Amino acid sequence: MKRVLSHPAASAHGRTYWRSLGEYAQTPDFEDWLHREFPAGAAEWEQDPLSRRTFLRLMGASLALAGLGLGGCRRPEAYLVPFNQSPEWVVPGKTMSFATAQPRRRGAIPLLTTTFDGRPIKMEGNPLHPASQGKSDNHAQASILDLYDPARRRHLTLQGKKATAEQLDAEIQRIRTEAAASGGATLAILADETASPTRERLRAELVRQYPQATWAVYEPLAPGYDTEASTAAFGPGTQFRANLAEAAALLAVDCDFLGSEDGDLTDTRGFAAGRRIRKPGDRVSRLYVAEPRFSVTGSMADHRLRLRAGEVGAFVLEMARQVRSLRGSPELSAAITAAPDLGLPHEVDSAWIRECAADLVANAGKSLLLVGRRQPASVQALALAVNSALGSMGSTLLVQPAFALPAASLQALVARLQAGAVKSLIILGGDPVYNAPADLAFGNLLASVPTSLHLASLPNATSAKAKWFVPGTHYLESWGDALATDGSYLSIQPAIQPLWAGESQLEFLCRLTNRPKPVGPALIKETFAARINQSGLNLEQAWNNFVREGFLPAASSPTARSVNAAGVAALTAKLPEASEASAEFLEVAFVSSPAMDDGRYLNNGWLQEWPDPMSKLTWDNAILVSKKTAEALGLRNEIVKGILVADVARATLAGQSLEAPVMIAPGHVDFAVSLPLGYGQEELGPVAKGSGFNAYVLRRTDSDYLASGLTLKKTGKTRQLAVTQEHQMMEGRDLVREATVKEFNQNPGWVKKVGMDAHIPPNQNFYPAPTLDGDYQWAMVVDLSTCTGCNACVTACTAENNIPIVGKDQVMKGREMHWIRVDRYFTGEPEQPEAVAQPVACMQCENAPCETVCPVNATVHNEEGLNVMAYNRCIGTRYCANNCPYKVRRFNFFDYNQRSLEKLYWGPLAAKGTEETIKLQKNPNVTVRMRGVMEKCTFCVQRIEEAKITAKVRARDSANIRIPVGSLKTACQQACPADAIVFGDMKNEKEAVGQLRNLPQNYGLLEYLNVRPRLTYLGRVRNPNPAMPGARTSYLPSHGHGDETHHGQKKGVPH
Amino acid sequence: MANIFPRWSNWLPIKILVCVAVVAASIVSGMAYYFTPKYTRVGYQPTQPVEFDHSLHVNQLGMDCRYCHTHVEKSSHSNVPATQTCMNCHTQIKALSPKLEPIRQAWKNGQPVPWVRIHKAPDYVYFNHAAHVNRGVSCVACHGHVNRMQVVWHDQPQSMGWCLECHRAPENHLRPLDQVTNMDWEPPAGTSQRELGQKFVREWNVNPPVSCAGCHR
Repeated sequence: MKRVLSHPAASAHGRTYWRSLGEYAQTPDFEDWLHREFPAGAAEWEQDPLSRRTFLRLMGASLALAGLGLGGCRRPEAYLVPFNQSPEWVVPGKTMSFATAQPRRRGAIPLLTTTFDGRPIKMEGNPLHPASQGKSDNHAQASILDLYDPARRRHLTLQGKKATAEQLDAEIQRIRTEAAASGGATLAILADETASPTRERLRAELVRQYPQATWAVYEPLAPGYDTEASTAAFGPGTQFRANLAEAAALLAVDCDFLGSEDGDLTDTRGFAAGRRIRKPGDRVSRLYVAEPRFSVTGSMADHRLRLRAGEVGAFVLEMARQVRSLRGSPELSAAITAAPDLGLPHEVDSAWIRECAADLVANAGKSLLLVGRRQPASVQALALAVNSALGSMGSTLLVQPAFALPAASLQALVARLQAGAVKSLIILGGDPVYNAPADLAFGNLLASVPTSLHLASLPNATSAKAKWFVPGTHYLESWGDALATDGSYLSIQPAIQPLWAGESQLEFLCRLTNRPKPVGPALIKETFAARINQSGLNLEQAWNNFVREGFLPAASSPTARSVNAAGVAALTAKLPEASEASAEFLEVAFVSSPAMDDGRYLNNGWLQEWPDPMSKLTWDNAILVSKKTAEALGLRNEIVKGILVADVARATLAGQSLEAPVMIAPGHVDFAVSLPLGYGQEELGPVAKGSGFNAYVLRRTDSDYLASGLTLKKTGKTRQLAVTQEHQMMEGRDLVREATVKEFNQNPGWVKKVGMDAHIPPNQNFYPAPTLDGDYQWAMVVDLSTCTGCNACVTACTAENNIPIVGKDQVMKGREMHWIRVDRYFTGEPEQPEAVAQPVACMQCENAPCETVCPVNATVHNEEGLNVMAYNRCIGTRYCANNCPYKVRRFNFFDYNQRSLEKLYWGPLAAKGTEETIKLQKNPNVTVRMRGVMEKCTFCVQRIEEAKITAKVRARDSANIRIPVGSLKTACQQACPADAIVFGDMKNEKEAVGQLRNLPQNYGLLEYLNVRPRLTYLGRVRNPNPAMPGARTSYLPSHGHGDETHHGQKKGVPH
Repeated sequence: MANIFPRWSNWLPIKILVCVAVVAASIVSGMAYYFTPKYTRVGYQPTQPVEFDHSLHVNQLGMDCRYCHTHVEKSSHSNVPATQTCMNCHTQIKALSPKLEPIRQAWKNGQPVPWVRIHKAPDYVYFNHAAHVNRGVSCVACHGHVNRMQVVWHDQPQSMGWCLECHRAPENHLRPLDQVTNMDWEPPAGTSQRELGQKFVREWNVNPPVSCAGCHR
């Protein structure tokens, strides 16, 4: 008896999910694409100067030549070279962890770095720190690759030529003498923001020595409007942050706090805590989002409104009025009275604002209005007044001391440069030549300064223009300190000596202030001693503790602060008019790229290949527009052979213009475009070369985030974009299952009634089932209610499992190697869709289809339920990938670890080998796979085995060899800031994973195939407000249970 | 009548024979090499830069393996001693011996002695010393009677089949933990290795992996 199972028709469902516009439109090209394992050409021999025959002939000849030197068959003599003197604590073969932190412009991220043989190989969150709790994000994970970037310059340069340390010493001496003569008036320093108290201390010392010196701080994506609002509302030296764990109702207006909004990991964790639902009756928070482009935060929204960034002021004002009508407060009244009358934003349903306001007020004390930190200070101040009226102060909104002293702005510095007052300009980090507002023409100004010096770990556009370039250190190479967003004091502990000569900003400032070069952490220790001065702690003890644990908790906990009505009113008087926009007069927002931030990570291959969480674009940025706008302007996106071919448009704003590909972004607001910053830096390094366009050229001082009047003209050119969204399609097979809270409460097991799951007859296995009698039975559960789709797991997996990058060309062929991908599904109309993210890794099927087709037993099942891969056995037939229903297997079409990405097709003619520094990062416990080998997720089997060995070593001659519960985490689970990934032994009742698998809302993908996946999902529960206009009341399929005719299932056809 | 077979077919039997002979010869020579200890390098005994005599240090002086191979119980890797470990004694004993000149040189100029590697697991094998010596597998099981070797040689094949032999039947090699580094230990009179081993397997919950992931990651 053979039963033919055909998949259910996608339309059997009241609700369709789509991943791209191609899929939505059901184009023939797309259909063709869908049915291939890899896109057209992925498995074919093309684009090669050699024909297949010539290649075989050459290979035959080289094989014969190789045979002549048979001596190569003998094993070469190898050596074991021990230490001369064993360093303390070092055990060869064991890893060590050090607490450190990655500096960011809005406070550092507390981390642990794992070192092996003295080389850092992996970053993890600091489990002791309350803001991190062991979690991290994609930038923290990828920052380790920056350390080993071969493009880092290894020596000093003077006007582009190699210089000596003596020359630099003489120059600094000269700068000091010159500055001393003028009281510092000729000296200016332009720094990036590192939140380092020690740097602030050295700065104060510098200013004491040279009172006239200019100290400016510039961060292109942190214009300081939030500080301005905070100063007006709470007084100088304050800053505010959200506390989302307390929030029951949230409105985020142009604020991507789960993604690129520079938030901290507490935001994601707090939000996830409010969304976690395990049993009927659990309380779930509600998220409203109003935003111009679809962000990660928008994908988590229960109600999402498309709103142009230029209309946020009018929107917040209307929201403020609605809140006042329900729950007035004097400061809110003052703020509204002072504000100009702006009217309603265009095309926004006033009922949306009214009902949202009603919900916020109903949850007063536990609600919060968040506004993007790049919105004008007036809007942010008004939001603070609204929050004060909502009773958020001290509960969902916290006020704490600001971490940096006020500094001069870039504009103030530029004024001094233009006046010719500055003789020596020292630039610490950053890249102002690339990312300063275009109207400042900073590059030309820099060239006009007699002495300019740039200190940076990676040479960039500024280094090229500056007279001197001093190689800086990576944060893992030098001592430092920083404040975290919660105000705690973090130690930045080095894990390795500088790879090449380099010095930190602190060391450089020591030279400038004529201090001796600091020895080890001496400088940090001084700062630390001053900080704990009053606490009465023993300095040595406290210091050791500080370095070991990595942080000192904030001295004062945030307090409830009242909003200064007059200060806020003074700002809200300046609320901007809602901007006008049309297809000929577009609004533009300069947004940060989730991968590249402000451009600092552009030479990082992991982040280049990291798919943007929403657009799934890699290796490029694109002008994002809505479907309607694109249609109005005649701009098209086509899928040709599975590759997105985008029209290139000329964008002109205030006389400046650029050419860039246009990408149609579902859910984008009409008549506005988003220009992701950070790309288009040709000189940054080989990885950055040719990727994207530089949007900074359109950005001006008065339009650092927003501008109006952009025109887009079709150029007739096209550009191929490497998007991963249409790879490995799974068609509309109920992969994502959603319900409202109400539906969940009524029927927590709704997932079992979706799709074919209700109709599966008892399955029989054709092949013998593997014996699953191991001590552990590994399983993973992903909670779709809390997964934000941030993609941090992808980078963590890349770092842990030595996953190579393959380059844009190969990604377009569908050959990207990520073991875990995050599928993003849209649902609804392309103009106003909702989105869901679903991480997909190897399901470790109990009845794995891949295993039965492997001719060499390279992939087999082990007794613990893992589908294991023996790479050294694999001969690369790719049968397994063809037979995998989830398309999670990855094939090494080339020797990605050995050949440069530009010369993959040269085969043996290209030089073999990789940069020494890149090798240093590799995880020694995971095989580096070669060409022709299949690979896939193994649930981090190296960590499992390590944990088992550790338990056995500890057990010695006792019988207790169990791994302690909670001591083993996979890389993706460990990184996940939302705690959405749970992994463990499902047989053990004490482990969360077993409990979660028994929940009624637990389901597997394609369960009707009887492959019995070990990776399962908890259905997503949304919390819509029924009072909202256009609210969906049901997320369940529209058809009833038992309606089998729609499923296309043929039962029991005898053969 | 025309020929049924074309002319070239006259050579066919010879061609086939030659082919078969070549294939057979390569199979035989391949097996002769790959299926014998020659391939696994049993007996490999390179000349070391210093004539370190294990039998002298272990048997005559009674030193424990772990005096030099310090991290064998903690780490996957059993370390070769640092120069410092040699110099602990040899600053006083045989301090001027010409045989120890490379050690003294190393100590003086900071360049460690390059010992010639004898045992090498392939890159795709993740062997862990600590997991074995802490669970009753003696050094002698894999390295032979090093205590009797003046110059160390490769004693066991250390092929995958050889590993699995023990992983499938660990009772043949387990011994009390305090005897792991005692190379000459024999089961006490009245018991056999098998009986004792089975007792340890039971009492210590010994369950060595036999699936791929145990060693290949």
